[in-house]
Amino acid sequence: MKLTRAGDLREIDAEVISRDGSTIRVRIGDRELAAEFTPNADGGGILAIGGRRYPVFVARRKDSILVSVGPASFEFKPAEAASRRRARGLAAAEITAPMPGKVLKVLVRDGDLVEAGQPLVVIEAMKMETTLAAESAALVKHVRVEEGQMVDHGAVLIELSPSPASSVRESAPRVG
Amino acid sequence: MLVFSDESMERRLTKLLIANRGEIALRIIRSARLFGLKTVAVYSAADANSAHVGAADEAIAIGPAEAAKSYLDIAAIIAAAKQSGADAIHPGYGFLSERPEFAQAAADAQIVFVGPRPEVMAALGDKVAARRIAVAAGVPVVPGIEAAEISATREYAALVGYPLVVKAAAGGGGRGMRVVAEAAQLESALGAAAREAAAAFGDGRIFVEKYLAHPRHIEIQFLGDNHGAVVALGERDCSIQRRHQKIIEESPAPGLTGEMRAKIIDAALKLARAAHYSNAGTAEFLVEGDNFYFLEVNARLQVEHPVTEMRFGCDLVCEQLRIASGGKVPEPAAPRGAAIECRINAEDPEHDFRPATGTVLHLSVPGGPGVRFDSHLARGAEVTPWYDGLLGKLVCYGANREEARGRLVNALDEFALLGVMNNAAYLRDIVASAQFRDAKLSTHFIDSFFSGWEIGKSEIDAAIVAAAITADGAMGDGTSEDAAPRAGAERRSPWEGLKNFELWGSQR
Repeated sequence: MKLTRAGDLREIDAEVISRDGSTIRVRIGDRELAAEFTPNADGGGILAIGGRRYPVFVARRKDSILVSVGPASFEFKPAEAASRRRARGLAAAEITAPMPGKVLKVLVRDGDLVEAGQPLVVIEAMKMETTLAAESAALVKHVRVEEGQMVDHGAVLIELSPSPASSVRESAPRVG
Repeated sequence: MLVFSDESMERRLTKLLIANRGEIALRIIRSARLFGLKTVAVYSAADANSAHVGAADEAIAIGPAEAAKSYLDIAAIIAAAKQSGADAIHPGYGFLSERPEFAQAAADAQIVFVGPRPEVMAALGDKVAARRIAVAAGVPVVPGIEAAEISATREYAALVGYPLVVKAAAGGGGRGMRVVAEAAQLESALGAAAREAAAAFGDGRIFVEKYLAHPRHIEIQFLGDNHGAVVALGERDCSIQRRHQKIIEESPAPGLTGEMRAKIIDAALKLARAAHYSNAGTAEFLVEGDNFYFLEVNARLQVEHPVTEMRFGCDLVCEQLRIASGGKVPEPAAPRGAAIECRINAEDPEHDFRPATGTVLHLSVPGGPGVRFDSHLARGAEVTPWYDGLLGKLVCYGANREEARGRLVNALDEFALLGVMNNAAYLRDIVASAQFRDAKLSTHFIDSFFSGWEIGKSEIDAAIVAAAITADGAMGDGTSEDAAPRAGAERRSPWEGLKNFELWGSQR
């Protein structure tokens, strides 16, 4: 199974190999880890790996898995959709709002050619500005929002199609 | 309450409206209750289920989610105060807390404003005017001038040398600030800063200051009463900042000599007296080597006030209420030990600190001696994009700095928050670091030691294992229903948000 961490393009290849009672063997990339899981009364549990014990809480959402390990928080998403897009030469076919907020600036128009890293939209949430940039070279197919508009988490802001000039076929980097 | 029945108090307040939200609203409600006051919460449409609304004796809706139409709406808040019969308003921090027109509107409505008088606030809120007051009081300021005219500014810049920092006269908290590395950048930086300041504060006046290479941020807490007395409650070192936002604060300032501390406190008191200050305030300074420079006065309660409370064994909100009642400030007790606070924010520290939102699905709150967690969070609480992302303040006290630091590391390790990405692991790594232990404090601490921070590899592994097990659907089998009672899924409004989630042990 391929996962990505929210905000990170690198794919993580991980799967459960075997389960024997509370002992679970998991493969991450080419490594194998043995984990011991003990549930707690509060809906979480203790995950013991390599002599360390981690308090862990997990929740599954429709499109992601939320995990906390001690004070560290994580969000994982299935990587399949992202890798399909990448195969078409696009890191992401759509620029979506990473959080609910207000569209402060739209920096491109329909038909613009953009480069990887080029800022496309600025969103304001929690008094902070976040700039969303193109992950790869692309053609702006359709700008779906206007400045000043409020958007929900996951709302499509801009549709992209592969840049005619690009022949990006690089495979995604991997961790694990 | 008897403890606060003070003969010097000239008026007896009865009901306090808290013109704020989040952790600070809750914190103020607690002290107001101790002081013997009824409390009135105000809330926006986004906060109807928020903790401060439930904690107060009364709660009044003041408008939609947008702060401009709710927590920043002076008329709506004054109307709520009148409607509820509140005879005092506490503004908290942020929002309207440093708006003289708000203090004036309260006064006009015969309501006591828990803070300095409007004219004092106006004078100190303007950075240029505050600098003038400081200079007149003999308090050192960072070399700088008002950048009214480009040729004069250029001449001055050549004199003090680059880098320089450009600031908005009406700014605060790092907003509208930019560093100018060389002469060629000066003119465009001035123009951009002026435009930004005009847009953000409705006031385009700017000034330039010498940029200090490795300053520490040290501030003095003071309390002034309406009888002319001003007392200082020691210092706080708030050097650990990210993009000019404080994230870790402590008291006392490590390594500060008694002589230096006395000088800075003396400067703060001179300033407060010169401004005829009443109620709680903070004078901020930059300290570099044997020099210190006045930065600004925050004419309100600060986010980081708990570190002072823990060392002085006092309740600053109760002191504010005593002063607002016409009472006299007491001579502070001698400070003891050390306290360190860190700010837990809704943000993703591995991805450019992008703001995060979400529903709290699980919260583990640390405890034990000397541990304080000021927060409005609870299971089911929504963190929305409408307001700043402060989730809570974790503050630890110890007999000395190492004990306070050790407790804070432990407390952060105990902390867990599922559902809203946050910076707790980042804070834990900072507080646990050798650089923080050795107090290598400067406002460049984060840039020097913690840029490009990532969560530890073994924790990432543990998270991937947990995600893989969850995705595999195996977790439910390994978890008995007794051990993990069905959580969230069957609850009704206002827990609706939890329906999208399936915690371990949920029935399938």
